[in-house]
Amino acid sequence: MITVSALTKQYGQRIAVDDITFEVAAGRVTGFVGPNGAGKSTTMRMMVGLTRPDRGDVRYHGVSYTRLPHPARVVGSVLDARCMHPGRTARNHLRAAAALSKIPSRRVEDVLHEVGLDSAADQRAGGFSLGMRQRLALAGALLGEPEVLLLDEPSNGLDPDGIRWLRNSLIEFARRGGTVFVSSHLIAELAMFADDLVVVGGGKLLAAEPVATTLARGESTVVVRTPHTAELARLLNQHGIAADISGDRVCSHGTSTAFVSELVFEQRIQVVEITGTSRSLEEILLDLTGASAEFATTRISSNA
Amino acid sequence: MTSTTHSTPLGPTSPRPLPTPTPTGPPPTVPMTRDRDDDLAAVPAAVRSEWIKLRSLRSTPAILCLTIVIGVLLSWILATFVKTDPNTHEVFTVGQTFIFSTWLSTVLAIVMGTLLFTSEVHHGTLANAITSQPARWVIVAAKAMVGAGFGLVMGIAGMVAGFTGAMLGGLETGNTSGMTATALWGLLLTTLAPVFGLGVGMIIRHSAAAASTVLVWALVLENLIKSLAPPKLTRLMPFSAANGLLGIQSAGDTPATRAVALSRVHDALLFSGYSLAAIAVGTVLLYRRDTN
Repeated sequence: MITVSALTKQYGQRIAVDDITFEVAAGRVTGFVGPNGAGKSTTMRMMVGLTRPDRGDVRYHGVSYTRLPHPARVVGSVLDARCMHPGRTARNHLRAAAALSKIPSRRVEDVLHEVGLDSAADQRAGGFSLGMRQRLALAGALLGEPEVLLLDEPSNGLDPDGIRWLRNSLIEFARRGGTVFVSSHLIAELAMFADDLVVVGGGKLLAAEPVATTLARGESTVVVRTPHTAELARLLNQHGIAADISGDRVCSHGTSTAFVSELVFEQRIQVVEITGTSRSLEEILLDLTGASAEFATTRISSNA
Repeated sequence: MTSTTHSTPLGPTSPRPLPTPTPTGPPPTVPMTRDRDDDLAAVPAAVRSEWIKLRSLRSTPAILCLTIVIGVLLSWILATFVKTDPNTHEVFTVGQTFIFSTWLSTVLAIVMGTLLFTSEVHHGTLANAITSQPARWVIVAAKAMVGAGFGLVMGIAGMVAGFTGAMLGGLETGNTSGMTATALWGLLLTTLAPVFGLGVGMIIRHSAAAASTVLVWALVLENLIKSLAPPKLTRLMPFSAANGLLGIQSAGDTPATRAVALSRVHDALLFSGYSLAAIAVGTVLLYRRDTN
């Protein structure tokens, strides 16, 4: 388990990370999301001792990162896949890392095989594609067979097959008791495998909760086509559900398809069609973080 | 922790799944933490890591080859075209000229020392090292040891090359009584030089800026200061100490500077002091600065 307590970091007048507290549970995949400039990378750097927090700390089973006897055997991290010397081969890159952490050199061959870089092991990293660099960085994180994986945008540069491999591997890693903390801008992708979410914006913690709870924030809509629109609308209002009538459709908010179906069945109201929609995780998170986005986009103008 | 193999789930070219972490259980009630003994015990592993980094780059043998080429060429040119000492007008001997290229070897070794650190900053690999070894002084110590070792090799290679170039140029062996002492002092210098360079690199943190600072100081500024400042002060400068260790004179040397020159022991202590001071300041900055 990772415990982040009151983590704060200020650069001059700018507060990059403002009193963030959350826990990352073992056996689960925790997504770390937020807009650009939210403080995600700064937080992750503080979690592995690269940046010293002004206040607060990060502990792994009660021990701060810098006090872990063998950090690489507890925490495997990939914060920037470009962090490798272009003149060094993949094998030597990993050998140097393994030597530093007193990891047997045979692990180098194991992790190269696990990430699919066997055939490129003796190529210099300068000739690698971004996807290959990402795989090599992941191999470095796995050298110590850690309990925790901290990954910043790990799917950058990976092809669809690689993204699927990464997703399945992280799920399996968590299923077997490992702790996964992964930041990503690909919210739709994250929604497919994250169990929990930590959402930051403007340096502040906006939410730390299971994905199911976040999804429940999104108001669902049920649309019913019926010849008895007024009767259905009145019935829904009696149950505290807001309903709008538009032609032969009744649109209700904040309820579920199952509830409306049961209601019309009990009251024997004729229904032609019933459709439920809910907001995507991406839409919910964009609403949640929208006010704290540092770099807001606008529509690209056209000269046509 | 053991690795469990799995069948490949995603097709013939798909990589294997991630290894199995330690089975879950209650966290330790008294967590283990690292202490100073752990850090000391980590130094040999860090040295091995730094050696792998150094020997795995093509620039390393290139620097060594450059040292040898410079050594041979410089001595051969002196033997073939210059032939006599401009100060004493005596014919050069092997015993005198073999050490001349060591000054250039020293500058190369300093630049190599700066790159031990600045290259890692530039390519982001310093962050990888620090996440694996949070005790940053261990990384510094390892880099200093590996750099010093390579500096010693450069010194030996440079002197052998200088000796060879002088012989090829047809010089007489001459008085060799002081050769051993000069060689040993010279090797001390080339051993310390990368440590000095490492410290400079840790302070400046940029490859080109660090290397050019060293070169400009060594080739221009120190000689300029020598022409302006009192000799008793200028003899305390780092490259004055280096020249003293090698027993050679620089372009800025005058009878006044030669009259107050320090002994080789004092020059060794002085250059060692500069090296250690640069490392100390660099290490403090390494702890204080965030690493990206």
